Amino acid sequence: MNEAEQSFYVDSSDRLIDVLRDRLGLKSVKEGCGTGDCGLCAVLLNGRLVNSCLVLAAQCRGASVTTLEGLLNDPLTRKLQSKFLEHNAAQCGFCTPAMLVAAKDILTHTPRPSTGQIQAGLSGVLCRCTGYYPIIQAIKEVSEEEKERS
Amino acid sequence: MVTPSFDLYVPTDLRDALKFLESNGGHTAILARGTDLLPRIRRRLAWAPTLLDISGLDGDLRYIKRDDGIVRLGALTTVADLLETDLLGMRLEMIRKAGELFGDPQIRNVATVGGNVCSASSSEDLIPVFLALDAKVKLISSRGERVLPLEGFIMGKRETARKNFEILCEVFFEAPRGNCWSGFEKLGRRNILIVSLVSEALLLTLEDDLETIRGVKVALNRVAGKVPARAAKAEAFLSGKKLTPEVIREAQDVLASELALKGDFRASGEYRAELAKVFLKRLLLGCASRIRGG
Amino acid sequence: MTEQLSQFLSSLKEKAEKGQLLYIGQNITRVDGLEKVMGKPIYTADLLDRNTVYAKLIRSKVPHGTIKDIDVSLAKSVPRLLDVITWRDIPGINESASILPDRELFCSSVVRSTGDILGAVVAETYGAAVDGVDAIKVSYDPLPAVFDPIEALKPDSVKVHPGGNIAKQMKIRKGDVDRGFAASKVMIENTYRTQFQDATPMETEMGLAFPRDDGSVVVIGSMQSPHNTQAALAKILDLPLKRVRVVQASTGGAFGPKSDETPYDVCGAAAVAALKLRRPVFCSLDREESMIVHTKRHPFVIRHRTGATAEGQLTAAEVEMVSDAGAYASLGVYVLGRATFHSVGAYEIPNVKVDSYLVYTNNTYAGSLRGFGGPQAAFAMESQMEELARRLGMDPLEFRMRNMLAPGRRTATGHLMDAGCGLPQCVEAVVKSSSYWHKRELYRNQTGPVRRGLGMAFLIHGNSLGPEGNDYAVVQIEIGRDGKVSLGTGLTEYGTGAVSGIIQVAASVLGVPVGDFVLERPDTIKHGESGPTVASRTVVIGGNAAKLAAAKLRKRLDLVAADLLKVDKRDVLIVDGVAYDRHNSASNVPWSRLVEEAYRRGVKMAEEGYFMAPPSPWDAETGQGTPYLQYTWGALICEVQVDVETGRYDVTDVHAAYDVGRAVNPAGVMGQIYGGTVQGLGYATMEELVHKDGEVVNPSLGDYYIPTSMDIPKNFKAYIVEVPGTLGPFGAKVIAEPPIVLPAPAVRNAVLDATGVSVNDLPVTSEKVLMGLKRKPPE
Repeated sequence: MNEAEQSFYVDSSDRLIDVLRDRLGLKSVKEGCGTGDCGLCAVLLNGRLVNSCLVLAAQCRGASVTTLEGLLNDPLTRKLQSKFLEHNAAQCGFCTPAMLVAAKDILTHTPRPSTGQIQAGLSGVLCRCTGYYPIIQAIKEVSEEEKERS
Repeated sequence: MVTPSFDLYVPTDLRDALKFLESNGGHTAILARGTDLLPRIRRRLAWAPTLLDISGLDGDLRYIKRDDGIVRLGALTTVADLLETDLLGMRLEMIRKAGELFGDPQIRNVATVGGNVCSASSSEDLIPVFLALDAKVKLISSRGERVLPLEGFIMGKRETARKNFEILCEVFFEAPRGNCWSGFEKLGRRNILIVSLVSEALLLTLEDDLETIRGVKVALNRVAGKVPARAAKAEAFLSGKKLTPEVIREAQDVLASELALKGDFRASGEYRAELAKVFLKRLLLGCASRIRGG
Repeated sequence: MTEQLSQFLSSLKEKAEKGQLLYIGQNITRVDGLEKVMGKPIYTADLLDRNTVYAKLIRSKVPHGTIKDIDVSLAKSVPRLLDVITWRDIPGINESASILPDRELFCSSVVRSTGDILGAVVAETYGAAVDGVDAIKVSYDPLPAVFDPIEALKPDSVKVHPGGNIAKQMKIRKGDVDRGFAASKVMIENTYRTQFQDATPMETEMGLAFPRDDGSVVVIGSMQSPHNTQAALAKILDLPLKRVRVVQASTGGAFGPKSDETPYDVCGAAAVAALKLRRPVFCSLDREESMIVHTKRHPFVIRHRTGATAEGQLTAAEVEMVSDAGAYASLGVYVLGRATFHSVGAYEIPNVKVDSYLVYTNNTYAGSLRGFGGPQAAFAMESQMEELARRLGMDPLEFRMRNMLAPGRRTATGHLMDAGCGLPQCVEAVVKSSSYWHKRELYRNQTGPVRRGLGMAFLIHGNSLGPEGNDYAVVQIEIGRDGKVSLGTGLTEYGTGAVSGIIQVAASVLGVPVGDFVLERPDTIKHGESGPTVASRTVVIGGNAAKLAAAKLRKRLDLVAADLLKVDKRDVLIVDGVAYDRHNSASNVPWSRLVEEAYRRGVKMAEEGYFMAPPSPWDAETGQGTPYLQYTWGALICEVQVDVETGRYDVTDVHAAYDVGRAVNPAGVMGQIYGGTVQGLGYATMEELVHKDGEVVNPSLGDYYIPTSMDIPKNFKAYIVEVPGTLGPFGAKVIAEPPIVLPAPAVRNAVLDATGVSVNDLPVTSEKVLMGLKRKPPE
């Protein structure tokens, strides 16, 4: 769990999002619909982006789960956060944690994504405020600056 | 938590899971990754007192194999796995296309082949694809295993031939070879969809003259009712004919009448039939072009 | 003098010359941005503790009926269930309504829609509360119901409310339409229909209530107006205002419904339960509940008859608008007003007759949603302009430009436009950006299965509340001993960044960087009632209040600085937190010293600014006058690419320009343009909340489609035009709502251009396009 090993008992019908928010206090994970349609609960499960409202906590035994709280020291995530602020990519902020986790996922698997690839990578996280353009722009710029550095 | 709540049995291995089902199959639903089942439980459309969690059985059930011209997909193979494998080959374009258009990245990472097939629902795009491949399913239990054609396995809306002590462990099909190609089309109100208006998968095989149709296998998410099925009449019509605009036009009409699509709040039956017809034409022409070396 | 110092002094001079515009027009990072990118627990559902119990609402299962019995016996046996509260538990008045007192908090005898609330189940756990709701058995005597507003207008229709189904009607009578039509060469009549749109904020509605030992209650919630919520709760709880404290938590999007009754519903249920059970109570709506219960955008049926001369001069317009309020009026009374005033759009027409109706039905109810009647009116008028242009054989852009409002012309209400009308500049910007004339030529003779088309729409958007009531705000500013400047207001932030905008205004007047400001959480215990945060009024009205408060403080600080610097107070400059002698910048005093000295002298360092807009008078009989004191203007040109075999189309290019008077924070303005346009594109192409026999068929994000990152136009160019207005600080005009208005008609017109198909009801789906093509021969 965010790089620290933890063990605890869960109820059979506990969802991963319930354990993350209520048991572990990881409030960055949001519930926007409960039916897997909005992506605001997206976390990395064994390195893959999944909706934590559709995964039972019990199914995560032995797995590694990463939320935004676990990425706060990650240099790439910090750059994303900085760019998000610069481009006004967080308006109401409710989708922001999921967008950052998804962005991290995109750049991890595709270090130099095209705009289309960024759009596809974000397509499972809904935003109602920004129209997506500033978010896509922020991610693009981080990937371009990373490319220049390396 | 998910309500109504349920018990969860986590098997130690596949044998343990099958043993559990022997005694408890009657009140147990099988849970892979829950993309179909969990929302339905929350909306009170489905429920069972016990769920059997097979998600940990990747070792036994998650694989993509290709030997002797047969492609075998373990039931826990995810849509993402299908997109990332090299084993499918060019002609299985329809699997790739269906995978690319399947839900969103999060869903693709967890939705499974077995989960798709066992839902027997017209919102699961892999079913028309497997139907068009004449796929078979393998079911295992403590009593042994049996193989059924997918077409027979799906009996009705959300109804399969799986007995409650069985687990669907594999979907397999012959890899298409020779003068053939496949395609997939889908359309709805938005680019990212769970439920499309029409999903259509097609496998075209041409004779060596590359003009005459040896066979077409076309399956849609809904045919004359509410389940994914093959459009047998359209297939029969096309078989043996030359692929001309005239033939395509007539085939479209056969398809439309065969589909008998109903409307709902998303779209009318008439519009769905139009889409199915256009897809038929585009898939036939697109596949033909690839077969001919385009 | 060193190079560095010289550079510094010259940049100082530049800033000083900007005077009060110090931080205006700058893309300063919003003050609440950091906590959002850090994923901090700032929303209502993040604030629960182990003592909190959960309330879930009990909703009506029938669209119209009388309640025979509410059987809670099964529910009471659900483990961990604490209580079931109904109308009998309400200490005060059983009301949760806005303008017309037509709606109860918990239905006591009659239910009028499937969104009606009968009470709440309270339990130790969320799951138990949900199970409890399931176990409640309500029996009804069903009543006949009406679901079509046109039907509901008929005299023999089912009555939704005893007083009849017309909740409100309005009119405009300008000139003489009969004469106008007589003078027209071309006259066309069409009926346009729009759909229920759901606001779909990413965070649904929720409230958390804490009972205090002294019998008072503290409520934290997701809302647009803590003071309106306070007033509603005080009535419900039978408590004086000062015993009801309401704090707005960080709110994850709003778009309208959170300024209507739903916050009163969830906070009311939580507060009633909290006071009864003496425990903190959290009441939340999941997505399905939210989409059923909260207010939606009103569907409108608009019949438009418009006439023009052969040269393309509009002569007359006769409009009849019927809007579906659903079961309750909510803010529909004012939505009708805005739709009526904007019914003939951004054009001058000498003869106008409008009759508009807000009509009850047994659908779930409608209320505020970004645009507030503007989108519906614009869809009808801009479609009509397109049809007229085609009938006249004129280019649609030319036709619009010939008739558009500009300085010297009059609106439908007879309001004379002055130099503040920036519509021509907006049009010029988008025509240039889109290469309109070149594209026209290019798309003149298309063949083949793919067709491209151009569409456009022009915007007039009356600013702020206009005739809806007193338009005021209060902003409080306090300079602390540590030099930090604290700004508080009853206006709320829920995404737009507008509150950061008013901080920029205050910062500019004071001369202190935005980074030195602290934004207080809106709290009725401290902040003055500032009206609801709606109508995009934060910067225009709140900004003025902030300016006044800051100016009062600045005056006092100038005196102190003048003393310290030994100059006349008119020679004091405060820039970036340093007070300078205007003529000798080496003589300066840092902010900390200035503040310390001010405190030493007992200068009052907290101030309140109150601004109320002048009244906007208009005549209810004729609809003539100045219902709005200023307007935001805009123009949008879009391109679509249509697959004529399936009817599927993509909106490939959008060019939009908005006259915002003065962009306090250009990035913030662009944020509203991007977000509003995409929400407007959703309204245009895919969003439709469907009712069948009063039940919402698709209350889920899997069946109600809002745009994803894959649905946005590939090419989107947005332009800020600044033609100062008279109302807002530094000439600012509103921007948060306007961008949602133009996409629907522009897309509809582009599809018409590409295919020859007129789709007169929203959304413009691929089915409607294809079926339209099948009914007519392709061009």
